[in-house]
Amino acid sequence: MARRTSTPTPSPRAAYVLGGNRIPFARAGGPYAHASNQDMLTATLDGLVARYGLQGERIGEVAAGAVLKHSRDFNLTRESVLGSALSPETPAYDVQMACATGLETVVSLSNKIRLGQLESAIAAGVDTTSDAPIAVSDRLRRALLDLSHARSTSQKLAALARIRPKDLAPSAPRTDEPRTQLSMGEHQALTTAQWGITQEAQDELALASHQRLAAAYDDGFFDDLVTPFRGLTRDANLRADSSLEKLASLRPVFGLGLDTPATMTAGNSTPLSDGASAVLLGSADWASSHGLTPLASVVDAEAAAVDFVHGVDGLLMAPTFAVPRLLARNGLTLADFDLVEIHEAFASTVLTILAAWESEEFGRSRLGLDGAFGSVDRAKLNVHGSSLAAGHPFAATGGRIVASVSKELHRRGPGTRALVSVCAAGGLGLTAILEAA
Amino acid sequence: MSSDDTYLNLVNGGFTGKVAKQFGLPQPAPLRRFAPGQPLLDGPVLVLGDDELADLLATDWALDVHRRPTPDLRYSAVVLGLTDLIHPSALSAPVMELAGVLKKLARGGRVVTVSRAASPEDAPSVAAARQGVDGFVRSIAKELRGGATANGLVLAADVPVTAPSVVGALRFFLSTRSAFVDGQLLAIDSSAGSLPSDWERPLEGRVAVVTGAARGIGESIAETLARDGAVVVAVDVPAAGEQLVAVANRVRGTALQLDVTAPDAGARLLEHTLQRHGRIDIVVHNAGITRDKLLANMTPEKWDAVLAVNIASQLAINEALLTSGDFTDAPRIVSLASTSGIAGNRGQANYAASKGGVIGMVRATAPLLAAFGGTANAVAPGFIETEMTARIPVVMRQVARRLNSLQQGGQPVDVAETVAFLASPAAGGIVGRVLRVCGQNLVGQ
Amino acid sequence: MTVVVLPGVPGAGGLYLRGAVSSGGLAIRRRVDRAPRDLPDVAYVVRGVRADPDRLTEFQHLLGESASDALPAGFVHALAFPVTIALMARPDFPLPVAGMVHLSNQVTQTRPLTLGEPFDVRATAADLRAHRTGTQVDLVTTVSTGDDIAWRGVSTYLARGLFLRGQGPDDRSTFDPPTPTGQWVLGADTGRRYAAVSGDHNPIHVSSLAAKAFGFPRAIAHGMYTASRALASVGPARGDAFDWSVSFAKPVLLPSTVNVRIAPSETGFSVAAWSSVPHLTGSVTPLA
Repeated sequence: MARRTSTPTPSPRAAYVLGGNRIPFARAGGPYAHASNQDMLTATLDGLVARYGLQGERIGEVAAGAVLKHSRDFNLTRESVLGSALSPETPAYDVQMACATGLETVVSLSNKIRLGQLESAIAAGVDTTSDAPIAVSDRLRRALLDLSHARSTSQKLAALARIRPKDLAPSAPRTDEPRTQLSMGEHQALTTAQWGITQEAQDELALASHQRLAAAYDDGFFDDLVTPFRGLTRDANLRADSSLEKLASLRPVFGLGLDTPATMTAGNSTPLSDGASAVLLGSADWASSHGLTPLASVVDAEAAAVDFVHGVDGLLMAPTFAVPRLLARNGLTLADFDLVEIHEAFASTVLTILAAWESEEFGRSRLGLDGAFGSVDRAKLNVHGSSLAAGHPFAATGGRIVASVSKELHRRGPGTRALVSVCAAGGLGLTAILEAA
Repeated sequence: MSSDDTYLNLVNGGFTGKVAKQFGLPQPAPLRRFAPGQPLLDGPVLVLGDDELADLLATDWALDVHRRPTPDLRYSAVVLGLTDLIHPSALSAPVMELAGVLKKLARGGRVVTVSRAASPEDAPSVAAARQGVDGFVRSIAKELRGGATANGLVLAADVPVTAPSVVGALRFFLSTRSAFVDGQLLAIDSSAGSLPSDWERPLEGRVAVVTGAARGIGESIAETLARDGAVVVAVDVPAAGEQLVAVANRVRGTALQLDVTAPDAGARLLEHTLQRHGRIDIVVHNAGITRDKLLANMTPEKWDAVLAVNIASQLAINEALLTSGDFTDAPRIVSLASTSGIAGNRGQANYAASKGGVIGMVRATAPLLAAFGGTANAVAPGFIETEMTARIPVVMRQVARRLNSLQQGGQPVDVAETVAFLASPAAGGIVGRVLRVCGQNLVGQ
Repeated sequence: MTVVVLPGVPGAGGLYLRGAVSSGGLAIRRRVDRAPRDLPDVAYVVRGVRADPDRLTEFQHLLGESASDALPAGFVHALAFPVTIALMARPDFPLPVAGMVHLSNQVTQTRPLTLGEPFDVRATAADLRAHRTGTQVDLVTTVSTGDDIAWRGVSTYLARGLFLRGQGPDDRSTFDPPTPTGQWVLGADTGRRYAAVSGDHNPIHVSSLAAKAFGFPRAIAHGMYTASRALASVGPARGDAFDWSVSFAKPVLLPSTVNVRIAPSETGFSVAAWSSVPHLTGSVTPLA
């Protein structure tokens, strides 16, 4: 640990966030129940095109992804571009980094712009848990594949004969970690218990998320960030009238088998969601030639991963390692940030990350520091709400955060700086620094 | 979106058409609309009176101009130059010449008068002659059939017939762009304005903002302005964003989700338009709502909402435009009024107040823009086939459609064409006026 | 020592039948006091054993590992197991195969065996000794190429209620459930699926009816399935050479979900699986 990575090479030029667009996030089985990933991504791209006048524009590259993807969507992003108002000569490709997919597309495309390889790019993400791919069982799939490969009738009959009635039951995608067979919620419940986070603290964070998101909508903050889709004009999960009493009355749903009190409820965990988001990126030249104002520059990013399989760290704790490395490389501390965006996979995810950074013991033993890494001023944290209120269509969350925080940085003016952190399945974490342009 | 007029289709069908004729039912004719590349007129035009007008039509527009009626010839249009009338009796000769060709007027034919405004300073006989044109035009508009229309230009004292707005308005009235404008007398107040280098793209190089652009008339305005060469900023409330995206992408403009009643609406509209497109030339105030109630049942919420959206927002945005210093290159404001705002309408006291307000507003705003070669005008639609009118009960809707000289509802594009004309460089001499797009609706003036 | 060289690895299914017959015969002979009381001084050997690639792939996939040419230590156990059973099914083996309980298993792998590599399997029995509830015995299996022993396993079995060496001491320890690192969701077909890839078709794993005959309410998971899965969960950190040691407590009734903890320890990794009762504890220790 604490191996200092190399100092950053001076970048030849900056990559800017020029704007963004997303559709309101829906709850699974809600208004987008019959919309596919491609439908939502296309609508989101079209909204971005309309907002920034990019009809027929050949964008450098469009990178997007989905966590839950049909096999027919092998070229999801390119197909969405072809269905959009962008030039059909816009290259596009898929990216997948679990819940960090959206942020990873921002990071990698920004780097290409910084290198001079691209002038413009669109980073995007989409997910549907309503239209999730249903697969046939392994046994049926194997039998069908063998059947298609069989040459003789007897081989074909043999393949067919292997199929049992129960093999015909479809197999839905699991969001459990394959190596531990624990759901993300159960994993976070372990981490929550380890750090002793109370339900009350989680509910307070959830309430703040709802209140701040509702206020931002009321202020028109999302007027140029969100385009309605299928009759939905605001995030369906948003409960402006939520209260600590209501949240406290919800029954815990994770960590019920542990010998510590179960604290994680449906109210302080994100629901399964459908939605898509996109971020427009470009060089300064491209922005000015298109009459667009840079909102923020993407300064640097750091990914981390933890060994949750052997219980070394909690599944969603990778950002606790990524951020110290990222800040050390850039000569910054937590106090240097005006905005801190930590994706609320669960309220307790944010709280355990903050607790780890505030822990002397963790700082010394796990981060290799002299003491605690530092603390985050709650007034700077998720100022317009986050996933607990907005919902979390996995790959779309990164784009939601980057577009919103870039707009807020631009509002606050030059010199302001934001830290973005997204945890992801597989013990992954991706973090980035943005600065007001 | 326009609803299908089944009746119009029936009376123009073979058998059902004959039946309708025998029973003396209204016989609305399908109106021909503008399409790029379309000739201004298909056949010869008879120009009576003014030589300068005849020269313009023959030379600049290469029309087949006749100075004398040829019997049995099918004319596409008749232009009556009546600017030098000094006595009502002088109307007789040109009017009778017109009468001789009317029966042979082509389907969708045009009659346009060009006369001078009557004023109290005129000699009584002069004023009588000039005002007489008004009643004459309105009457023949009611007599014409087959989708033909009659309209008039009424020139202020010092405006020559070659002034840009006279030429522009004459061309508008002769063309299919004015298909649903009938029985109207349009005042030409000054010689301001300029003629476009390309009559097919009069808005080339101009940047236009259209509010309420997500659907209906606003959508059509956005499309029409874009067709005429303008770069369009399509504005609508955030909730209409999905439709707005489709419109903006179709017209290759930009979408701006904005509640026009927001305190910073003008600033945001200016910021977006200037930043993205570098300039702002045309603002079309189309966003509007109805909250119909008899006044006895009116709630403050319904009253205030209609006034806030339909007029207060326009006043606030105009103020932002006028004080910005960026709305100075022959700017155009075109605002949507309504025949309800002119004639009143039962159950629409709030709406009519707001639309009457629009008429007053453009009248007072246009002079403020004159120094920059700018102007402000209003368009008052009558019965237009939109999602809104499609919700009117079916019998009422059929009746409403027939209550005009063209005996049918207009299409959103008819309003849009008129907006586009008033937004064009040629319309600079039309100052604070209202042009009705109503097929000469029976209500009001 | 007598060395019996078998022509090939016997089919385990037939061996269970033979074992059952032999166990029945043993019971009769015991009643007339003519049953053997000592281990036969014999080694069973099969030479030139090779792994089947399809079965290897299925084994690896069942345990959540990527298919590779390195044979998992548990797969080697499964390949050699019928040789051990053949030894235990001998008429002169003193304990009945049927109903024997697998108490613990220690494997030392010095290098991974690879697919396509022929190897020799040698099985012997040793250390017949007392247990608190009966008599236990070690079945020692080595897998080698030439003189090079790549894999050595010691499986300890218990014949319950048969006290050939008297009663052993009570060495039970209490189990304090640790914090889990994961769980195993084990379907009703877990036994049948492992039987298909391991060749161990012991009826108590594949049929609840058979399991009931032996006193279990439902079919139970193979101990070696849980042990192999724990080893797989340690992952590549175990290295190529390691000690892999497990003790089986209560059997895992199928279907069920059990908590697991696979975590670093001072010497390597500790492994444990439990539900309301402990099922498995053990360790994986990489060898330098």
